[in-house]
Amino acid sequence: MSYLVRRLVRAILLLLGVSALCFVFTEMAPGSFFDDMRLNPQISPDTIAGLRAQYGLDQPLAVRYGRWMKSALHADLGYSIAYNAPVAPLLLSRAKNTLLLSGTALLFTWLISIPLGVWTANRRGRLLDKAVTLLTSFLISVPELVIAIALLAVAVRSHQLRVGGMTSSDVEGFSTFQRAQDIALHLALPVFILVLCETAVIVRHVRASVLEVLNTPYVHAARRYGVSRSRLLFRHVLPVAASPAISLLGFSLAGLLSGSLMVEVVCGWPGMGPLILEATLSRDLYLVIGGIMLSALFMVGGNLVADVLLFTVDPRIRKAGTDAS
Amino acid sequence: MRAKTLTLIAALVLLHLILLFAGFFAPYDPTTQSRELPYAPPTRLHFRDSAGLHFRPFVHNWKTSAESDISETYKEDLSQSYPISFFITGSGYKLLGIYESHLHLFGTTGPARIFLFGTDGYGRDEFSRVLFGGQISVAAGITATLIALFAGSVLGIIAGYYGGLVDESLMAVTELFLSLPWLYFLLGVRAFLPLHLSTLRTFFLLTGVIGLIGWARPARLVRGIVLSSRNRNYVLAARAFGASDLYILRRHILPATFSVLLTQASLLVPRYIAAEVTLSFFGLGVNEPVASWGNMLTTLQQYSVLTSYAWLLTPAAALVVTSVLYSALADVFHSQLESLTT
Amino acid sequence: MKVFARLTLLVCLFAGSCFAAAPAPDPAKPGEELFRLSEVSGLYGGHLTIGERAEPKTLNPVTSTDAISREVIGRLMGDLIEINRSTQQTEPALAKSWKISPDGRTFTLQLRKGIRFSDGHPFDADDVVFSFTVYMDEAIDSPQRDLLIIDGKPIQVTKLDQYTVRFALPRPYAAAERLFDGLSMLPRHLLDKPYRDGHFAQAWSLNTPSTAIAGLGPFRLKQYLPGQRIVLERNPYYWKVDRENQRLPYLDELVFLFVGTEDAQVMRFEAGETDVISRLSSENYNLLAREKSRDRSQLADMGPSLEYNFLLFNLNDLRGKKLDEVAGKQIWFCDLKFRQAISAAVDRASIVRLVYGTRGAPLWGNVGPGNKLWINQSIPHPPQSLETARQLLKSAGYSWNSSGQLLDPAHKLVEFSIITSSSNTQRLKMATLVQDDLSHLGMQVHVVPLEFRALIDRVFQSFDYDAAVMGLGGGDADPNPEMNVWSASGTSHLWHLGETQPATPWERELDQLMQQQMVTLDYAKRKQIYDRAQQIIAGNLPFIFLGTPNILAGASSRVGNFHPAILDPYTLWNSDELYVRGPATERAGTR
Repeated sequence: MSYLVRRLVRAILLLLGVSALCFVFTEMAPGSFFDDMRLNPQISPDTIAGLRAQYGLDQPLAVRYGRWMKSALHADLGYSIAYNAPVAPLLLSRAKNTLLLSGTALLFTWLISIPLGVWTANRRGRLLDKAVTLLTSFLISVPELVIAIALLAVAVRSHQLRVGGMTSSDVEGFSTFQRAQDIALHLALPVFILVLCETAVIVRHVRASVLEVLNTPYVHAARRYGVSRSRLLFRHVLPVAASPAISLLGFSLAGLLSGSLMVEVVCGWPGMGPLILEATLSRDLYLVIGGIMLSALFMVGGNLVADVLLFTVDPRIRKAGTDAS
Repeated sequence: MRAKTLTLIAALVLLHLILLFAGFFAPYDPTTQSRELPYAPPTRLHFRDSAGLHFRPFVHNWKTSAESDISETYKEDLSQSYPISFFITGSGYKLLGIYESHLHLFGTTGPARIFLFGTDGYGRDEFSRVLFGGQISVAAGITATLIALFAGSVLGIIAGYYGGLVDESLMAVTELFLSLPWLYFLLGVRAFLPLHLSTLRTFFLLTGVIGLIGWARPARLVRGIVLSSRNRNYVLAARAFGASDLYILRRHILPATFSVLLTQASLLVPRYIAAEVTLSFFGLGVNEPVASWGNMLTTLQQYSVLTSYAWLLTPAAALVVTSVLYSALADVFHSQLESLTT
Repeated sequence: MKVFARLTLLVCLFAGSCFAAAPAPDPAKPGEELFRLSEVSGLYGGHLTIGERAEPKTLNPVTSTDAISREVIGRLMGDLIEINRSTQQTEPALAKSWKISPDGRTFTLQLRKGIRFSDGHPFDADDVVFSFTVYMDEAIDSPQRDLLIIDGKPIQVTKLDQYTVRFALPRPYAAAERLFDGLSMLPRHLLDKPYRDGHFAQAWSLNTPSTAIAGLGPFRLKQYLPGQRIVLERNPYYWKVDRENQRLPYLDELVFLFVGTEDAQVMRFEAGETDVISRLSSENYNLLAREKSRDRSQLADMGPSLEYNFLLFNLNDLRGKKLDEVAGKQIWFCDLKFRQAISAAVDRASIVRLVYGTRGAPLWGNVGPGNKLWINQSIPHPPQSLETARQLLKSAGYSWNSSGQLLDPAHKLVEFSIITSSSNTQRLKMATLVQDDLSHLGMQVHVVPLEFRALIDRVFQSFDYDAAVMGLGGGDADPNPEMNVWSASGTSHLWHLGETQPATPWERELDQLMQQQMVTLDYAKRKQIYDRAQQIIAGNLPFIFLGTPNILAGASSRVGNFHPAILDPYTLWNSDELYVRGPATERAGTR
């Protein structure tokens, strides 16, 4: 219990630290929200200065941070300059969609990666292993954006999937089942892209750690004693090979909100991605910081889950942890 | 050593030799623009003509014809053929940055040029650009990976081995690192630096930035491994026998991390090479007209380029080849290490 | 039984309205002064879909700053006087006629009688006065406020009677009518309260219910799905009618889809999911043109735009700024012969060919061939000549060392950087081509792409740059919007910002000419003055003009009355006239 309390305290301190550093970083970056109006010869600098004052952009850093903290405690998380609306509702409405996308992708990624990693480790050096290695090399090397555009082009031309958005325009008359079907069709492409790119990384790690265990003396011995492959796998190999996989799961969970940004933008999925990307580029500060805080929350949560799993899977860690320094 | 390992090593050595001596293997300077030939498809090599089979391949010049008002199309000008010469004198380059030379492996003497991988939007030879671009990209990718893995493993080992408060604070720092808006930090860094950075400075900047941001993940992975391996029976036994921390780290803990580190290495090198694409958006990448796989991959992010000019995909192909070779190398190291520890 | 049948009918009707079919145009009422477009005809019904790169941020016409918000708002709102994008001339809109006083300082506008907002509420002079009060309110800081301040004094707006409004300008202003385009008329009955309560900036944000928004445009808000699309439906009270005196617009619905990137826009258009695409790059245009034979979509190349792209040198006063390195290079930049040499060395033909895929035009001045009304045809258009460039440099005291590098009169190597926006691939390409051209003169030029706002910061704020490739213009054909670029004290006087007095004699003359043309009401005289201004600009090269892209747009074959223009909004400016051909509309025919 005290462990969880410690982690909670750590989480709060982390969020405070992240928020403070965010403000410092955004101060470092040149430019501000109303800069593109300077290029318009028909707008005077007085108007721009007036707008900056209206949104408090000309206040010193400490004052702005203080105001934002107050607003955060009121669950508003500041005010978006572009949308002229409080940040929290903007973020939350889109965070739901992002979680739907990345959650589904996470599920499929792990459902595919673990069996595939184990399989290729078992059949090391054979055709399947080589093919998978080639494919994963390809997926890691080519930038995600390029893969996304290529797959988008294929999907659009095939006319099979619904591309763009989360719902079709004629969604009015649909029953619940039809709505779910509609969303699923829209989900298909972005999930596919995400799964492709993430599976490549995880398969590699799973394969490597399974391989490592498969080649230890006790496994060799057990095999010679006639222990069946599957029993060996599930009772001996997997638990030991689990450690890097659990850390990776932690990363996957941590990146639930932030990892799908590029895919959302390219596929037009109405998640946090397009919102945060535009806000970052246009310096809509509080929206950006709000998004970062939300992602940091998931980061902390994901790592917590990973650590708890680590300790559960290998109880020796926890025991040693309490009596070592 | 087995034949497979030998071929792998030979392939890697060949790749690096070609990149290192790019000036020799590439027929042209990577920045020379042939403005009358933008987006020209790869030059076709011919061995046979009306006179019969030739030992030396020859090429034809490109002729542009505006078939419709849509775009110019390239047709071979069959009236003249230009044989390829080997060990030809061409544009100047600096071998290893010191020795000035004009010798090229192959090229043409006549007005026709040999564009093995076609040309880009400025009419620059894509083949030459891929070779020269690989120099900085592969070097930057490897260096950045080494930095990130070194820092990550050191910190991960410390966190995992000593546990407790050390572990908690280091992991808190990694969480902080992974949450921060690096985009703004990078913009701030860019604003702080002088406008023009020489290629060397850009290289250090690239590797520094990527390494700085990239240590957090390997650290967490390594820490996980160390946590589970430090309480193995053999470690406890060694401790009971009075082995020092350093001995245990070197003999038992470190080898346990190699698997993860090697896997990470094979994953990170291509990732970091491609990361230059994002960095160049902030002005921190290699600038035009210098070639690098990163800034060539940026042009691939347009749909029209992907569909119309397939030959511009060659830097991605080169990156994939490099990645495959390095993955195979990591695998070889892996099995070598296993045979050492078993 | 009969009761049951009636009940069923009622339920069906009720259900039908729940599914919200687009409202039919309201039949014309007596006393309603409608605007008849005598050349327009089309088919009623259907919907048009257009893909946008991002979503609008607000529906508030007074505070919106980004282009997409303005594009959507423009369909919902109406103006007093509109600029017809095809002819580029003003035409009456909500104001059916107007009288200008002989001194050009007073405009008396007659409003159309009997017009209603999209919620049925009548429109009259009170709405006009309210709208202008809001636009000119200092506390709101509307970007459009500055249009209404001439010479530091605001325009006076007075209501003369229920349908007459007088505008008093502090001094005569040429093309004053053009100011009214884009100043949407606001509904006083909906916005007066938020204004008086001081919450005007929060009014009409995206989550406002559609019943709280009303305008005089062809469409009204139906539905907004965050991150996905915004759907507009026909305004049943719209005040324009077509040739057969049928109320416009033809479309039942206009849908804006947020597709994310330009590539996604092209792909969705190719697949037939969107009907209109605007501002294509030439590569995408050629891509679509190759598919054209299959689906007979309409692609239009409207010719050169009004935008001008240029190479800018930092001629700012850097005293007290600690930018010694840049200041040292300004000795070269300030020399006219240096700039002339660079202009002679630039290969504009290649820029048009390689950057714009031949769909563009080279520029030697700020007014290009797209602006037929104002272009000065007598400005010379010399082709690239490295020889001329070398001669100019030699005569200015420059020389070359043994490796062919250029040395200035003090024997320092000529080396500088050109900054440009990393997100604008066309300008980046231009910079690379220029860099290659200048290397033939022995100059060491570096291209430095920067993130957009970082670029703006350097050009407007810190002045820490040598040269930049940027673009301006495109707003309107009239010279007045350019005042701030060419006036010495102007805020867009990029090469030398913050001048209190013109720094050079030619800038002084340019200043006077711009001031003069602003108050000259006669077109011929004004053109003469502006011609001279263009001559000075082209001769003294504060900007080295490079080129301008063509406006490229496309629509699917089922879209009718598609007339893209070179002024923004390129394809939707006549959204009230657009119609779609298809089984539904062809069956319905003209109502």
